[in-house]
Amino acid sequence: MASIARSSLLRQVATKPALQNSIIARAAFHTTAKRDLLPPLPQRVVGTVNDAAPVPPPSPSHGSYHWTFDRLVAASLIPLTVAPFAAGSLNPTMDAVLCATLLIHSHTGFQNIIVDYVPQYRTPRARKAAIWGLNAATVVVGLALYEYETSDVGITETIKRLWKA
Amino acid sequence: MAALRSTASALLGAAAARPSLRMAAAAPSAFRGMAQLADAAQQNNTASEQANLKTFQIYRWNPDQPSEKPKMQSYTLDLNKTGPMVLDALIRIKNEIDPTLTFRRSCREGICGSCAMNINGTNTLACLCRIPNEDKADMKIYPLPHTYVVKDLVPDLTQFYKQYKSIKPYLQRDTPAPDGREYRQTKADRKKLDGLYECILCACCSTSCPSYWWNSEEYLGPAILLQSYRWLVDSRDEKTLQRQDALNNSMSLYRCHTILNCTRTCPKGLNPGQAIQSIKKQMAF
Repeated sequence: MASIARSSLLRQVATKPALQNSIIARAAFHTTAKRDLLPPLPQRVVGTVNDAAPVPPPSPSHGSYHWTFDRLVAASLIPLTVAPFAAGSLNPTMDAVLCATLLIHSHTGFQNIIVDYVPQYRTPRARKAAIWGLNAATVVVGLALYEYETSDVGITETIKRLWKA
Repeated sequence: MAALRSTASALLGAAAARPSLRMAAAAPSAFRGMAQLADAAQQNNTASEQANLKTFQIYRWNPDQPSEKPKMQSYTLDLNKTGPMVLDALIRIKNEIDPTLTFRRSCREGICGSCAMNINGTNTLACLCRIPNEDKADMKIYPLPHTYVVKDLVPDLTQFYKQYKSIKPYLQRDTPAPDGREYRQTKADRKKLDGLYECILCACCSTSCPSYWWNSEEYLGPAILLQSYRWLVDSRDEKTLQRQDALNNSMSLYRCHTILNCTRTCPKGLNPGQAIQSIKKQMAF
């Protein structure tokens, strides 16, 4: 109950003239950078304080399957990265598999960042834009890698040459 | 405070020199009064006894003056007259220097989890945190980070408790015990609960987790997930699948990125990070 009373109190304070003041006050108290990206909102209690927090519907493709897939991809990258150098020979198929795995790995990695920092409940449109931006970027990078693999030397050979350059 | 002390010492006068008389004089008064008398008595002899002063900088914010920004207020105590733990110092400040200082405390022995706060940059229980004697630096005491502050060192844990309620932290069974007695389990099954049942829900770990800072609306946080695992591994519980389903989405469980601030900060020495990892492994295949 105390929290509800307080949030209404805060709302009274956060009317127009005080807004500027509160921003200045916050900036003065903190020593960290003053970029106000998604500052914390006034407290909001869903339901009463005695209700349980809502449980989202189960969705394994965003939960356990996603996590397992993530880990498998990450783990398979280790042998894929080492193999060409250990074997001492370059195989275009292995190179293509490495490219694809790297692409998926970075895609799910960026996805995690977006899910972390662009909250769906607060910025649904920015979330959508970010996810589709990522999808587009992945497609572009995928096409570029395909082009590079088919008409140029491929990434393993590139790294090898850069290493020796 | 200085005025109070001088009055006390004046009252006490020469009696301060004789401990037996002092005790007799102070006996009928409350403990607090006695402590003050003792302090005042020693104040007279400060020249001979070395005062071990320590300054505590404490976060202050009063909801009755919401337009005033939070500030750090300094209190200096003589450690020779203070108990060894930070909570002792806080209680002494509240009793003797500033009764408006607000904090939660109850058991003073690390079993209730009320006095969780951020001390010198680490979330811990004030009652289990020693005042470092050797270094002279000020101690800085804040409420738990990234919580809505009710007053001074009191954080609002509404969301934390709501989330705890959402994992149904109780035994769920449909089948009665085969012999009609209590639900029994093997020693090996019981052993799985060690390191989980000791959690006192002080919220130190959850409020130290960056993932929980950003997503406390949806991510459950280490404390609640540790509790969740406590019911997932309980051999007597029959709703394991439903419990797993409740966690099987992108936010509730999988916002854990194994940062392990939770394990580092736990004042009870538990390992929420490992518990979360165990849930993930349990649900993986």
